[in-house]
Amino acid sequence: MARWGMVFDMKRCIGCNACVVGCKQENSLPDGVFFTKTLSEEYGVFPSVNRVYIPTLCNHCEDAPCEKVCPSGATYTRDDGIVMVDSDKCIGCGACAVACPYDQRTQLSADNFKSGLFGDGELTPFEEQGYARYEPGMVTKCDFCSGRVDAGLDPACVVTCPTDARIFGDLDDPDSKPSKLIRERGGRAPLPEKNTKPKVYYID
Amino acid sequence: MAVRDLPIVGDSFNVGFRFQRYWDTPMANAFFSCEAGAGLFFVSMFVGYIPGMILGIVAGVGLKAFFHLTHMGVPFRSWRAAIRPDRSWTSRGVLGIAVLVVFGVAHIVIQQYGLVAAWGLPGFVTDLVIFGAGVGAVSCMCYQGFAMSHSNAISLWSTGLMPVSSFVYALTSGVLLTLALAFNGHLAEQAGLREILVTAGLFSCFALVAVLLSLLHASRHGSPGAQKSFDLLTKSLYAKWFYSLIWVAGIVVPVLVLWLAPGYTLVLVAALGALIGHYAFRVLIFKAGVFEPIMSFRP
Repeated sequence: MARWGMVFDMKRCIGCNACVVGCKQENSLPDGVFFTKTLSEEYGVFPSVNRVYIPTLCNHCEDAPCEKVCPSGATYTRDDGIVMVDSDKCIGCGACAVACPYDQRTQLSADNFKSGLFGDGELTPFEEQGYARYEPGMVTKCDFCSGRVDAGLDPACVVTCPTDARIFGDLDDPDSKPSKLIRERGGRAPLPEKNTKPKVYYID
Repeated sequence: MAVRDLPIVGDSFNVGFRFQRYWDTPMANAFFSCEAGAGLFFVSMFVGYIPGMILGIVAGVGLKAFFHLTHMGVPFRSWRAAIRPDRSWTSRGVLGIAVLVVFGVAHIVIQQYGLVAAWGLPGFVTDLVIFGAGVGAVSCMCYQGFAMSHSNAISLWSTGLMPVSSFVYALTSGVLLTLALAFNGHLAEQAGLREILVTAGLFSCFALVAVLLSLLHASRHGSPGAQKSFDLLTKSLYAKWFYSLIWVAGIVVPVLVLWLAPGYTLVLVAALGALIGHYAFRVLIFKAGVFEPIMSFRP
């Protein structure tokens, strides 16, 4: 069984946010909801100024705090390491959202679905079929596009990235691309002091 | 520039601290009513004051449930909150509330209708009921703190002081509420008990001082997120509320009243101050919680 993970190559990310758009489209995410974000940071003092882009998504932690605090059993980890939310079990208490050190969970509200992506209050057929998977009040998050992964495809953000800054693969396979990158270029986990053992790494 | 000096960035696509916004006022209402209600029940049980016990259960269970349902995203499934006591403090808390309801109501009924004499209940049954009610009350007084400190996502909350603060606040509110409610009635006939409660109120206020100072110390010297929360509480956004409501109304006023002149009107003022401080603590501790920046490249 694979253990899926992702590597972000910070030298390659150009901050185009194509991954964000690809994710929103793949997951039919309503207004104001993102499963992935590309954060930017500027630092330094003129004339020595720099900007870096930092992609983020659910880190699918080995020791997922969101799963530990979930009182309803809605959050669970699949055998391949993908942390999932069962929308039929979620009660929307938000315990997982405050337990995630990476702030990668979103509690949906009815307002998210009101205006539609065009802001005119009418939903397109695309939105109508896509929103059927969500329920206002539930908590949701990135699932590494589990449906695509099960079909042997890469997550939408990975295939959308024009610079190959997102690399997805089996972390248990020493010959997989992410494993090699982590080994050779010193992959760093986000907030390692939180002891959540993320399956997402950053290289720069 | 240190990580601590990064800005609070809200939902923008920038690196920085983010406020937790998932647990807000409805959750603060629920936590406050549960702690104050359970504290009132606990202290009223100690002094044998039945109206206080009833009011405690109504506030600690009824009001709490109401506020929780207003917070819950999918309220009709809220029964599911009880099914994972093996790992979730929320589930354990729900079971604690159930224990409080069952044994607390049984204790009230036994006391109110004198069932020990009427039915000839054996001593171990009443002892068991009292023990169960006490366990239920204590678990309701402190489980919120365990639920908050279970994860280390929000550094301000990630400390063993959270359940201690829950318990001490619940106890303080319970003592002062019992004093205020029973001052001229139940406690007027038992001056000794009243003195004990006044002393207990003073000591619980001193315990609050110790807990709050320890909490501030831990956040002042904690991770960047904890330091940011410390700044929010003591120096910037929430400082005026923190000092005026939590310290002055919640601690200074009750201590002065209990120490100098615990008359009926002033005890009411002290109880009101303690409740204001308790509620402000619950709201501000939620509002000052921040997520750390996941990574920063600042030199």
